[in-house]
Amino acid sequence: MSAVQHQALVLGAISSVAFVFFTYFALSSRRTTFSVFAACNLLFVTMVFGTVATFDLSSERTEVVVAIMTELPVVLIVAWVCLALARRLPYLSGTLPVEPAARRTRLRTLLRSAPYFLLFFVGVASVAGFVFPSPAIRVYAPAPIEFFVMKGLIMVPEGFYASLAALVFLMAGRSSGLKRRLYFKNLAFSLGMTFIALIALESTVFAGVRVWVADQNRLIILKTLNTFETCLAISCIIVFAVGLSLRYTPAVAGPLLQRLQTGWLHAQEQFESQEWRAVSAGAAQRLRDASGAVEMACRVRNVSQSDMEKALATIRLVAVMRDPSSETQHITPEAARKLYELQEEILGDDVLASKISWAAGLRSRASEPQTVKSAPLHDALRAALDLIDDNANVVPMETRPLWYWIAAVSAADARIIDPSVLASVPPGDYDEYRTAVDAYGAARTSMQTLENDRERRSQHDNP
Amino acid sequence: MRADAPMRGFATALQGGMGTLWPHLRDAIGARSRVHGSRPLLTATEFQEELAILGLSGRKFVPSDYADALSDYLGISINIHVIPDDWYPELSRRLAISGRLGELRYSEQLTLAAIFVPGSLPPLVSTLTILHELGHLAAGDVMIVPSEEPGVSHGPHAEGVTHTTSPVRQGKKLARGSPFAEETLREREANMRASYALFAGCLGSDSPYADAMFSVL
Repeated sequence: MSAVQHQALVLGAISSVAFVFFTYFALSSRRTTFSVFAACNLLFVTMVFGTVATFDLSSERTEVVVAIMTELPVVLIVAWVCLALARRLPYLSGTLPVEPAARRTRLRTLLRSAPYFLLFFVGVASVAGFVFPSPAIRVYAPAPIEFFVMKGLIMVPEGFYASLAALVFLMAGRSSGLKRRLYFKNLAFSLGMTFIALIALESTVFAGVRVWVADQNRLIILKTLNTFETCLAISCIIVFAVGLSLRYTPAVAGPLLQRLQTGWLHAQEQFESQEWRAVSAGAAQRLRDASGAVEMACRVRNVSQSDMEKALATIRLVAVMRDPSSETQHITPEAARKLYELQEEILGDDVLASKISWAAGLRSRASEPQTVKSAPLHDALRAALDLIDDNANVVPMETRPLWYWIAAVSAADARIIDPSVLASVPPGDYDEYRTAVDAYGAARTSMQTLENDRERRSQHDNP
Repeated sequence: MRADAPMRGFATALQGGMGTLWPHLRDAIGARSRVHGSRPLLTATEFQEELAILGLSGRKFVPSDYADALSDYLGISINIHVIPDDWYPELSRRLAISGRLGELRYSEQLTLAAIFVPGSLPPLVSTLTILHELGHLAAGDVMIVPSEEPGVSHGPHAEGVTHTTSPVRQGKKLARGSPFAEETLREREANMRASYALFAGCLGSDSPYADAMFSVL
């Protein structure tokens, strides 16, 4: 067996072990398009080295072909990684570029140029190799300068793009607030690409040694470099396999998020904006008097601010749903029930419900943001449906709080709902109901007193 | 129709060929792959790219943060005015009657944008309205060159239906594609940007789209 065949046998064995390792560990734990592509590359390299180890290839042009065939998979891997980092493989890889590349247009352009430049230089190297053949795969034999040129044409661009990709992965891994698993994943890929860059550098040096170093020293240096390259190749395969097998599942799934965007958010925004339009355009006239009395009654009974907002939202909803004008035609009990059910769906997922929030005011980071649960609309929808939708109530209230009764009494007094609805108060709610009636009565009295005072003062000022 | 084609030499033909190929090559490696023509509606992943450009990807943010980042990127001043109903009661009424929730005013000369929303809007609607108007700025809708050609939607495309875009004046915009020619589509996309922004701002690093930017292989 010649030195060439021996070297090909060693490298072929490493490639085949890497292929088996990759197939069983990386692919079984997480199958991505890239991992399948990498596995195919390893199989291809194994076959090429196997061919070289089996057959004695004495022609120098054949050696050039084999040398380029063994370099091609690595070139393709580097090109693929660069394109994936710049999101140029929408159907074969992720649909987003890596974060540092998204922010830097020039970096993205540079990454996208990788396959064009790499394949161009492989083509140039192939032409050079055919025109000036050299003992490309006889690893310890002296070589002419043409061999160094051919090798450099492939290795320098490959090393450059591999270093660039390693740097981008490192930048991604250092991003603030990154999940630990994603940090290690990017670190592994950064190391993998660094190893590829080092292999490219080592190969260039190797070619230089074959050209310029004398016999005695050459063999020692080349053997050392070969061992170094083998170590680098093994390390590269291991870190890539580790990176690919690191599975990361986001806390919130994309399809769920899409469903929320098109379902709940759209419904709530439509409902609230239409309600606001109806109220602001003055469609629900009876609402104004009732709202003032509700607010006053809540203050009389020291009802908390959040409960008072619920009472006000309830009376607003009831007024809008009962208003016959065209402005309020979309605010129906059916729409309210549908929205309530969507909200309940979100509240069923504790993690999601706690995360989805919005500011109660524009620059209100300091104040408590509203969530689906804490926003007054959720409880108000239930209360309004309870007051209006008496024949098809899907959300019966077990215990009705004071704010509910204040809103109910006020709505009945303003003839927004039929007062007879309050005739059958459940025994368990009777105390709260009586308190609400008293508070509402006191509120009306004080509002009347204030109104009388204002009128008297007005008459005194303008006799 | 008959046209007299000029005799072309090899150099002219080569020049012509290069002229035809160059835009494709530039498009292949260039960062701005979409030029004026037609495109589909914005996706959540494309919006995540915009957030990355603004430095907000993977971060929790509120509309004012988005406005500040957009303001820095576009090099314009963006002011958000939440007008209390007590100050100007007619604003809410007028907006409600016209079917709008807020208003965006933009002055190219003063490099100034102002968003007006009534204070009486429910918090969620207010947040989405501000984000909607900011979405118009991000999309470059304010830079549209008025055209008399009606917008046309093309049939099903590989990534969905594509719609005609409008030419824009010289200036900076965040979106990679040109704004749509049809106003309803511009409004729809501004709504989509608002909902994407709301969820991205709420979820921060828990957003699956933000995570996807760190897991490309």
